[in-house]
Amino acid sequence: MMPLFASRGGIYPPERKSRSNQVPLQQAPLPARVILPLRQHSGRPGVACVTPGEYVKTGTRIAKRDGLISADVHASISGTVTQVSAHAIQIEGDGLDTRHTLTPLDWRETDALTLLARLDESGVVGLGGAGFPAQFKARVIERHAIDTLIINATECEPYITADDIILRHYPGEILEGAQMMASLCGASQIMIGIEDNKPEAIAALKQVIAQSRPARVTLSVIPTRYPSGSEKLLIKTLLNRTVPSQGLPADVGVLCHNPGTLLAALQAVKSGQPLVERVMTLTGEAITRPGNYWVRLGTSIDELLAHVGLERARLSKVVQGGPMMGNTLDTLNAPVTKLTNCLIAADQAELPPAPPASPCIRCGACESVCPVQLLPQQLHWYAHAREDDKLEQHHLFDCIECGACSYVCPSHIPLVNDYRNAKDRLRHQQIEAAKAEHAKHRFEFRQARLAREEAEKQARRHARLAQGKSSSGSSAPTTAPQADLRSLRIAQTAAKAAVRKAEKVLAREAQQSPDESHDDLEMQLATARENLKAADLKLAQARQSAQASEESQ
Amino acid sequence: MSDAVSLAGVASAIGILTGLGVGFGALLGAVSERFKGEAHPLVDQIDALLPQTQCGQCGYPGCRPYAEAINEGDALNKCPPGGDATIQALADLLGREAEPLDGEAPEQDRVAFIREAECIGCTKCIQACPVDAIIGAAKQMHTVIEDECTGCDLCVDPCPVDCIDMLPRSAPLTHWQPVAPLAPGVIASDRHPAGGN
Repeated sequence: MMPLFASRGGIYPPERKSRSNQVPLQQAPLPARVILPLRQHSGRPGVACVTPGEYVKTGTRIAKRDGLISADVHASISGTVTQVSAHAIQIEGDGLDTRHTLTPLDWRETDALTLLARLDESGVVGLGGAGFPAQFKARVIERHAIDTLIINATECEPYITADDIILRHYPGEILEGAQMMASLCGASQIMIGIEDNKPEAIAALKQVIAQSRPARVTLSVIPTRYPSGSEKLLIKTLLNRTVPSQGLPADVGVLCHNPGTLLAALQAVKSGQPLVERVMTLTGEAITRPGNYWVRLGTSIDELLAHVGLERARLSKVVQGGPMMGNTLDTLNAPVTKLTNCLIAADQAELPPAPPASPCIRCGACESVCPVQLLPQQLHWYAHAREDDKLEQHHLFDCIECGACSYVCPSHIPLVNDYRNAKDRLRHQQIEAAKAEHAKHRFEFRQARLAREEAEKQARRHARLAQGKSSSGSSAPTTAPQADLRSLRIAQTAAKAAVRKAEKVLAREAQQSPDESHDDLEMQLATARENLKAADLKLAQARQSAQASEESQ
Repeated sequence: MSDAVSLAGVASAIGILTGLGVGFGALLGAVSERFKGEAHPLVDQIDALLPQTQCGQCGYPGCRPYAEAINEGDALNKCPPGGDATIQALADLLGREAEPLDGEAPEQDRVAFIREAECIGCTKCIQACPVDAIIGAAKQMHTVIEDECTGCDLCVDPCPVDCIDMLPRSAPLTHWQPVAPLAPGVIASDRHPAGGN
């Protein structure tokens, strides 16, 4: 057992896990129709690569990833594609579930590139909630040295038991998946962080830990407290390393994976099965048969809840995700995605609607529970006053939106909503600012191009005039305006310096982040070059006319 | 005697102080030359606050010329795309009084769209576009690159066949903004109790 390091804050909400973790894992029925959104992960949505009318098998790729942070989407049932829109693909099933599998691989014998390609073409993303593409996460080794892989099995949110159940059913497979990911990123040790409210899962893991090779596996049982499972807090608790503000765990040599992701990654490699189904918790008082189910992606939430005995009369709301961080669904006419880990069909008494908010009484309760040691009260004031610089000063973007502050607030202020809105607003402002900057650069480029074209036209006219003059003999030179040679020379030197500076900036950025596109910097360089050309032309022309006027004198 | 001493003392004091003044002056001059920061003239700062649509609704050919005009004392309220937020930001920067907007702020972010079937390929809109967002050639169909269009509508007037429309911009889902929450300041008991009778 490893020593644990204390972290601050946190709350103890009622767990309510027993309703769903008493039943063994079950299989949800095969849906007759699925709707698969093209964006089921962080980053850019996939690009559909099927057309309506096409026949697909379970596991056929229907959307390709677009860019680096994106993931493939696969058909989760066999049947006919009926609709392809900008956001989703709809498949009408044939009920046969014919499978399309990739060649099974033995990860111990396969090289890293093949494994990464397999994770890529299987569409595996982090199933814990953020949906970060697994292949991109594994490639972090290109930039950071990783020494520890953490299996985040804390599952600290109330109600959710999906990780608990798969750890009981597939402990060996999950550890093997962890070993595979650890060998991919060069981690020498694997740590499992699990809360002490999952004795069955802990027992199952203990049985398989000893045989797990090659990385050393340690099991750390941590006290149950919300939100102990937040990535940065877990790293602090297990390793006493602090992930920097706005940084990634990889900055301190750690990768965190959810057990479900590891299981999906292993299945993708070992049995060649793309990510087409996931385990999710269906619970809440308005359901008669709660439990954990293997559910095909794209299944309608309405049909799924009907299958587990939804009592519509009792239902007050359906929450997707946990009660602390999840969203209340406005409509049940929505599909299950790679990120749907839990559905809570709650009745009125279970998750009562929040009472109306009263003004803040400055009690400070939110500050003492904040796990990332922010000042929620100050953030609340600044968010309402729209003081954006103060919000950034108080590290709004380090807020993990765990909801502990809203939970303890005696005035029932929906604090996390305020923070989310403020974050959205700030992000929107950044996007707008970047767009304005881009438009400005394009405008400057156009101005420079027009100036260069004008200078070229002048030069041509001048050349023509000069030619006409020499052929017609010694007609009097037209009174060319004596351009100030000195100021033109200064302008040309400045343009040269600008080109050099733009080249240097572009080279530096290209070295620092070779994966990103540098269109904007390239355009600035092009602008500087156009300016230089125009300056060159003007200078040459001025010199010529100066020479001509000297000769004529 | 004492007079001579005090005279020498005064002379040396003046000498030392003058020397110190010259010495430190030279030091300051050298340091300010050596560690010269990136120059941020006021025009650049003003330009950074403008929305860069390059629409010319202010009466100047682009945002930069307007920034220069503001620096020379022109009014702050001539930028409809920027709206009140830009006026406020400019007023804060320049320490001037914010004035109400001269003109109407656009309700919605718009983008130019060419009805391609009607386009005759005259290139007039291409010449008008301040950010090169229209592609096409003489007697060939033109089209607008939506991501580059700033919605300035300078291309609409030159079109001889009126085939350019200003349409609402299609925002990607990732830019979705939540509906603004209830304004602060509403007394709690005035709200309709959630899920109540």
